[in-house]
Amino acid sequence: MKLTNNWRRWFFWLFSCLWAGQIIWLGWYFAPEVRDLAWRLASQRTGAAIRQEDSYYRWLQALAEIIPLRDTYIFLDNYEAGKEIEARYHLTPRRHELLPPTVPPSFLFYTVRQTRATYLIIREGDKPWESIDAVKESPAFQLLAIPGPGLVFRVDYSRLAGRFYD
Amino acid sequence: MIEPVFLVLSLILGLASVFLLGYAGFALLVPNPQEFRRLERFSLSFGIGATLLTLWMLLLSWLGRSFGLALAMAPPLVLCGGALVIKKMVRIKGKGSETAPPSPAPLPPTPYTAWDWLFLSLLAALFLFATCRAVLYPMWAWDAIATWGCKAKVFYQSGGVDLICIDAHNYYPNLVPLLLSYLYFCLGRVNDHLAQGLFPLWGALLLSLLYSLLRRLHFSRTQALGVTAFLALNGTVFIVHLYIAYADLPLAYFALAAAGLCYLWLTPAAPRGSLPLAASFFAGLAWCKYEGPPLAGTVLLAAALTLIWLRPPDLKGRLLKLGIPILGLIAGYLPWRVFAAIQHLEMGADHVQSLYPRQFLEAASYLLAALFDPFYFGFLWPALVLALVFGSRGLWRSPRVFLVLFVGGNLLAVLLAYGVAPTSAEEFPSYVRATLDRLLLHITPVAALLIGEGVKELGGEPET
Repeated sequence: MKLTNNWRRWFFWLFSCLWAGQIIWLGWYFAPEVRDLAWRLASQRTGAAIRQEDSYYRWLQALAEIIPLRDTYIFLDNYEAGKEIEARYHLTPRRHELLPPTVPPSFLFYTVRQTRATYLIIREGDKPWESIDAVKESPAFQLLAIPGPGLVFRVDYSRLAGRFYD
Repeated sequence: MIEPVFLVLSLILGLASVFLLGYAGFALLVPNPQEFRRLERFSLSFGIGATLLTLWMLLLSWLGRSFGLALAMAPPLVLCGGALVIKKMVRIKGKGSETAPPSPAPLPPTPYTAWDWLFLSLLAALFLFATCRAVLYPMWAWDAIATWGCKAKVFYQSGGVDLICIDAHNYYPNLVPLLLSYLYFCLGRVNDHLAQGLFPLWGALLLSLLYSLLRRLHFSRTQALGVTAFLALNGTVFIVHLYIAYADLPLAYFALAAAGLCYLWLTPAAPRGSLPLAASFFAGLAWCKYEGPPLAGTVLLAAALTLIWLRPPDLKGRLLKLGIPILGLIAGYLPWRVFAAIQHLEMGADHVQSLYPRQFLEAASYLLAALFDPFYFGFLWPALVLALVFGSRGLWRSPRVFLVLFVGGNLLAVLLAYGVAPTSAEEFPSYVRATLDRLLLHITPVAALLIGEGVKELGGEPET
């Protein structure tokens, strides 16, 4: 490789050294992932077995067994938590409606009625949510005993008037 | 033990069929495929195959036909095979009336240098890690399960482009989800970790394409391998996209192919049929991701401006020839738009409100930070600046100006896109953080091509 003059050559090699440093840094940055990968390969815990390690996934699998494929469920969670997208992914083709935990009972009931939802899922059952009292007092909602991080209610939407301003 | 082997074989066969379909399309588009080197044919065929296959799957849905493996792959393969036979027969009949230009002279067999081995070893280590990381872990990244993977699963389960049961950016184009669903058909189930093997393959094809383009531009093997490794092993963004199921890496591949082939066409280095070939990648750009048509638009605009600026002898004719990639763009853009209109899908119009100057300026600072923070793209973008400074001799009198216009135009387009984004002041920083590295990834391979041209300028005449 011919280089036209010394300062260009000097610059070229300086940059090459910086790049070499960058490659070493990349090795350090991805080292934990490489270690985990090696451990998983050695212990043959790869693919679907990785999902089984997650209690949230196991809970979703339990929900998939009770919610019929053509039904709709309301999922109460914050979008930013990134958990409702997992629920949607694992529960498709069931229809999915996301509402935030701050949703007032009027809007929750209205949505249940409008979407003909048959299940209400609250991801974090131990945290406060706005409509908790209304849901627990309503005869349309029946709490199911499914072990896991959240709460699951079977819903009879026909028992809700579902007017927006009720 | 037999089942995993059978699954991997099914995946390989499924991907090989896409290559085969793509190669048939490739051979139809160019007068003589032998004018392209083996690696060029290999790296270009997959993109054409993926575009043809998924557009066909969209057509089946349009016709109300539920697709499975046989209906998805067999008819396009038979059609392309038949068209190839007809083309060959026509060529045999017309033999003698046309003189085919000679095939490119084979490169003299040069021994691999220590640098070649070093670059190849680094790339091999990277792809070993990325492939294992992709196929041994389930799909997990945000957009992978929120959009692309979720749609793929639904398309597989319903056997069609059925968006009734989900609301996952339904207006986004569907090349990637349909290709994933095709792989699910090959595997016989939703096996999202094995199907993720598609993404290191996209990455390998992108790098092969970059290497091929550099070789076509008379780079030595060492120079071409060096620039290719420089793109792959700089910062975390490219590496992470090798093992997450996002559409950004395929889009970067289509953008590199479209821009690279147009660039070859602007230089005297283009083999015959480069422009029709580029057209198929314009189609892939439009059908791959929402950002595809604007990217294609910037390639076309940069090519037209370059021609007007350089004023080649047949300026009018060459400008008219840009109609070929425009046809490709329409072929990739229109089917989905018409399908979406028929299905009454809401098309996202969230980027076309008024310009917010404060956001524009704020985005400029984020953009500069992303370009120069080594975490994202390492020293690639600073290297581009240096390559432009040191390799500026004759830049404005050469087709390299096309690459400068494309990269510069897209950086400006990124800023404009943020300037019109309807987000709140609180949300804006996180919105930029979540999207900026991906927008830059789309144009980074073309930036690497430009760096290569600068390095060539810096190094004088390349070895051959």
